[in-house]
Amino acid sequence: MNLEKVVFGFFIVLAMTLNFGFFIGDIDNPSHHHVYELYAAIVVSLIATVLKFGDRTHVGAILLSTSLAADLQLITAAILWAALDGKMDEASLTVYIVSLSGGALMANFISVILLIAETISQRR
Amino acid sequence: MDSILFLILRRLRRPLIFIIVSFGIAIIGLTLMPGTDDKGHPWHMSVFQALYVISYTATTIGFGEVPYPFSQAQRMWMTFSIYLTVIPWFYAIGKIITLLQDPSLRLAMSTERFARSVRQLQEPFYILCSYGESASVLAKALDEKGMRVVVIEPQQERLTELELSDTRSVIPYICADAKLPENLIRAGVHHPLCSGVVTLTDNDEVNLAVAVAVKLMNPDLPVLARAERDDIAANMASFGTDHIINPYTLFGDQLAIRVHAIGTYILHEWLTDIPGDTIPPPETPPRGQWVVCGYGRFGKSVIKNLEREHISATIVEAMPQLTGCEQYILGSGTEAKTLIEAGIESAVGIVAGTDNDINNLSIVMTAYELNPKLFVVIRKNKRHNDTLFKQFNADITMQPTDIIAHECLAHMISPMLAQFLALARNQSNSWSNQLISKLVGKVGELVPETWAVTIDQQGAPAVAAFLSKGHPVSLYNLTQDPTDREQQLDLVPLMLLRDNMPILVPDTFTTLAIGDRILFCGRPAAKATLPILLDHVKTLAYILDGVEVPDSIVWRWLKTKLQANCASHT
Repeated sequence: MNLEKVVFGFFIVLAMTLNFGFFIGDIDNPSHHHVYELYAAIVVSLIATVLKFGDRTHVGAILLSTSLAADLQLITAAILWAALDGKMDEASLTVYIVSLSGGALMANFISVILLIAETISQRR
Repeated sequence: MDSILFLILRRLRRPLIFIIVSFGIAIIGLTLMPGTDDKGHPWHMSVFQALYVISYTATTIGFGEVPYPFSQAQRMWMTFSIYLTVIPWFYAIGKIITLLQDPSLRLAMSTERFARSVRQLQEPFYILCSYGESASVLAKALDEKGMRVVVIEPQQERLTELELSDTRSVIPYICADAKLPENLIRAGVHHPLCSGVVTLTDNDEVNLAVAVAVKLMNPDLPVLARAERDDIAANMASFGTDHIINPYTLFGDQLAIRVHAIGTYILHEWLTDIPGDTIPPPETPPRGQWVVCGYGRFGKSVIKNLEREHISATIVEAMPQLTGCEQYILGSGTEAKTLIEAGIESAVGIVAGTDNDINNLSIVMTAYELNPKLFVVIRKNKRHNDTLFKQFNADITMQPTDIIAHECLAHMISPMLAQFLALARNQSNSWSNQLISKLVGKVGELVPETWAVTIDQQGAPAVAAFLSKGHPVSLYNLTQDPTDREQQLDLVPLMLLRDNMPILVPDTFTTLAIGDRILFCGRPAAKATLPILLDHVKTLAYILDGVEVPDSIVWRWLKTKLQANCASHT
């Protein structure tokens, strides 16, 4: 067992689960989507991105790009939230944010699939 | 470039994670701390406000407590956050700065920059696999001639010299070992515009390794290699090294040429020197008894060539067993006794050809005292002894550096020039003298430019167009000035190559044919002007017939109309 692999897998999976936790619920109901959950998703996603730096293999490159896609969408959601809070009705703002985080969830999902695929292909 | 980016990212992984984690903790804590707004209501910071406050605190900018003064709890958390975030921040900055100064990263970056600048070269270029004494002379001469050069050199000090030297165009260089094929690839062995590889290090093994590598990677690429040992030279020749340069053999040859045809020698030196230089008039070595000190590679070549000119020589050698010498006077030649024994008082010339500069100077100074009328040939080994040799002012100072550079130039300027010089050696001295006076009359005393022109669709489209229409163009037409056809350009055709048959100094009324190749010699201005004449049909028409051809359709139509009118009236 390799501690580095444990940490690596942990953050990638955690990024997806936190993202999923924020995403699940009625899309226009603000009480179903907590700000701290989005916050945690962003922080963990950023850590996962940095952990993927420097891997020169093909799978490593795709993993990094999925993470960058997730970061982009989550951060856009956070910026929207900070900028538009109180300027429009909460329901439609929540729809924007949750749909963006849904996009990020897809990217995180691909990331986890790649991780699983790579793990299975390791014949050890 | 990719590899460098990945290297940076990999090294920055840890500091970036520290920053993200510490910011993450500090921000979330700040939003949880209870505070009060300006009206005294309980208030919590939003995530965005906390991010803002922590960002300016961690980077030590510090705007103060916004939007409302902090509560005691918030201040306590901020105190903790400052220590938590500022330290990772500085750690990351320190890491980035160390990374930028990291020798391996800098090497990777400079290698990458070199490979990129080579890839981006748009003109033909040569690869020099060293930047030693001869290669630096060669690089300067090629640069003066407007040819591009790329340098691989393992010693940083020599590259610093290159960096400080004043060149016309940028010379990309890399501090690396030319023996490694990857460095040759970076230098552009596979580049479509690479015109050749020149390896002139003073180590035969290195030259051999480079020649083998280049011939394996790109067999069509010409390779010029220096080789002093015969076995290495034979090895190089066996796999097709195009030109093998042995400075000692070359010098022997040149000495022989100087003895029997000084004019040919001057012609050779003059055509292969750096454009714009002047060369001092050389002296002819006298015939008679010679004394040769040192029977090494240099001495052997000198003796062989002197014997070919029927000049007898006495050999002075300190280690005859090592050099395989049969008839000799034992000694180094630095003492008067040995020299007198060799008959210095009745000799006409002396050759100091040992591999030690100080000994060589000592030999000629002793000999000079014994016989002040001697013709002195001295071998110089190290460039840093230049001042001493200048002070002595021998009749001929043999510098391997210059000889190698001249020989390389003859091959690199144009293969035709090397062919011309080889043919010129077989001509008489008076032929050379006539040619020199003709050249000097046309292009002046300064070293001229030499270049080759091919008469075909690419090299001279206008000439090719006229010839294919059946309109004869003579060599004389190519020497006329495009601005005024009564004037002549400052150039001389040296050689015409038709169906691989060379014609030396062709008659100017020779009519050209498609496929002809002409070697010109002339002033730089003439070299710049000639392409106008070769490329533009209109200019060439003016030269041939003295008529200005109209450019546009309208004018052409008007002209034919006018001509038709004139014809019908008369």
